[in-house]
Amino acid sequence: MNQKNNLIVGIIIALLVAASINVDANPLEFIEGLPNLGIVAEEMTEVEPKLFETALWSMFETIQMAFIGTVVGVAISLPLSMLAARNLNSKYVYGPVRAILAAIRTFPSILWAILFVIMVGLGPFAGVLALIMYTVGFVAKLQYEAIEAIDSDPMDAVGSIGVSKWQLIRYVVLPESAPHLLGQMLYMFDYNVRQSSILGLVGAGGIGFYIINYIKFFEYGKVAIFMVVVLATVLIIDWVSVKIRDKYIIKSQHGMEVSAK
Amino acid sequence: MKLIQMTKPSSFSEISTKKIIQMNDVWTSYDSKDYTLKGINLSIDRGTNYAIVGKSGSGKSTLLKLMNGMMIPSKGIIKVDYQTPNMKNKKFKVMMHKIGYIPQSLGLIKNITVLENILVGALPRLGTVQSLFKIFPEDEIQEAKKILKLVGLSGKEDRKAYMLSGGEKRRVAIARAFMQKPTILLADEIVSELDHVTAREIMNLIADAQKRMNLTAIMVHHDMQLALEYANRVAVIKDGEKILEIGVEGDKIVDFQTGNLSTQEIMELYSDEPKK
Repeated sequence: MNQKNNLIVGIIIALLVAASINVDANPLEFIEGLPNLGIVAEEMTEVEPKLFETALWSMFETIQMAFIGTVVGVAISLPLSMLAARNLNSKYVYGPVRAILAAIRTFPSILWAILFVIMVGLGPFAGVLALIMYTVGFVAKLQYEAIEAIDSDPMDAVGSIGVSKWQLIRYVVLPESAPHLLGQMLYMFDYNVRQSSILGLVGAGGIGFYIINYIKFFEYGKVAIFMVVVLATVLIIDWVSVKIRDKYIIKSQHGMEVSAK
Repeated sequence: MKLIQMTKPSSFSEISTKKIIQMNDVWTSYDSKDYTLKGINLSIDRGTNYAIVGKSGSGKSTLLKLMNGMMIPSKGIIKVDYQTPNMKNKKFKVMMHKIGYIPQSLGLIKNITVLENILVGALPRLGTVQSLFKIFPEDEIQEAKKILKLVGLSGKEDRKAYMLSGGEKRRVAIARAFMQKPTILLADEIVSELDHVTAREIMNLIADAQKRMNLTAIMVHHDMQLALEYANRVAVIKDGEKILEIGVEGDKIVDFQTGNLSTQEIMELYSDEPKK
């Protein structure tokens, strides 16, 4: 048994070395390159406070993009997730819907952004569309998995009354999967804020547009301001979502007593 | 009009109204090898309070699920009000509207309010658009509140179902079934986890409604004592077979299955079984 484990570890190390040689990943170069990082870090300290306002405004734009992307994306993904859930549909319905969702998820949001820049031109709208597509692919998957994981008891009990499928969805599936949905929305919003910083790379608006341009011109001091704003925003969003989770999700999932004493 | 009625054989009308559930040599299996129920014969009169008693795994819950069409037998015939139960059958679905079913787990929707959980029982009477937007007619809401009061939950209508105690949750599940205006009520071991006092409160609630609404109540129990206290008839299920059908008449326990056993013999037979 021990010998077998050693063999597996040996094989993994051998593969690691072989792959590193193949992709030219030399640790020595990394160590030699460390001083360069020092230069960047030093330049980053030469911040330009003037840009702070621009950074805030572009962050605001990014947040708005992420907000639209999340809300519209979730609104589209909700009916799709109902169609993709195996416990609600026949395979002739959920099969094709799942295939479409998988296809949407195959493209990372940056590729969607390129596609939409070609379609609607440079600017935040292309970014918004990209975020919507990514959100749809991702949330629909999470949501149909949540629907499939719903406790089957209320489904059986309400189903035994002989209600219609729509009524079953409205009165059991939606309320029982709602806490998950809220969690997914928060996660997706957080993700979309961070993602839309990257979408600037292809000219799809937001704070990323500034970051990428200043990096191109080696103006790390200016980049630093924008990075700090992104970091602060992400931390605030994280804090707010923890609060929302505590209030609405944790309690309903564990059935905690929340009535007044 | 009267003449026509008189020309009908009296026995016919008696048969057509008296029996509400009939099972003839019913077998069920989850896989093709093992049978959960083995040749069950049952006949339940309209308006009775019927109990099914047995240990866990004896097939009692399966028996209930056969009655509302959630399961179909592998062999044998079941008739519920002269229809074959099958929840996939559209015609039977209409009958399901009138069959209240309370599973052991109760099946409440935990993230909606008590009142909404009860109103779920009225869904079959509601149109699609109304139900999608949760627009319940005023009379249905009043009815739900009346039932809420009946089951002793007044003032708790806006609580979320997950906030309730075990006894309260059972009251909600019963209220949901009452909201269906049922002719048959199926309840699966809904009092077995409760303390003695609460269990009897819940049982009294059902017994009262059963008499008032001329309901056929079929309840699965763990506890023979409780079953004999409330039911007109008690079927004892053991390893998928109905080994006994008894009832209390005066101070005697009568054997309805074979008619051969005396009260004494039944008592002796049952005292061999561990109580819990």
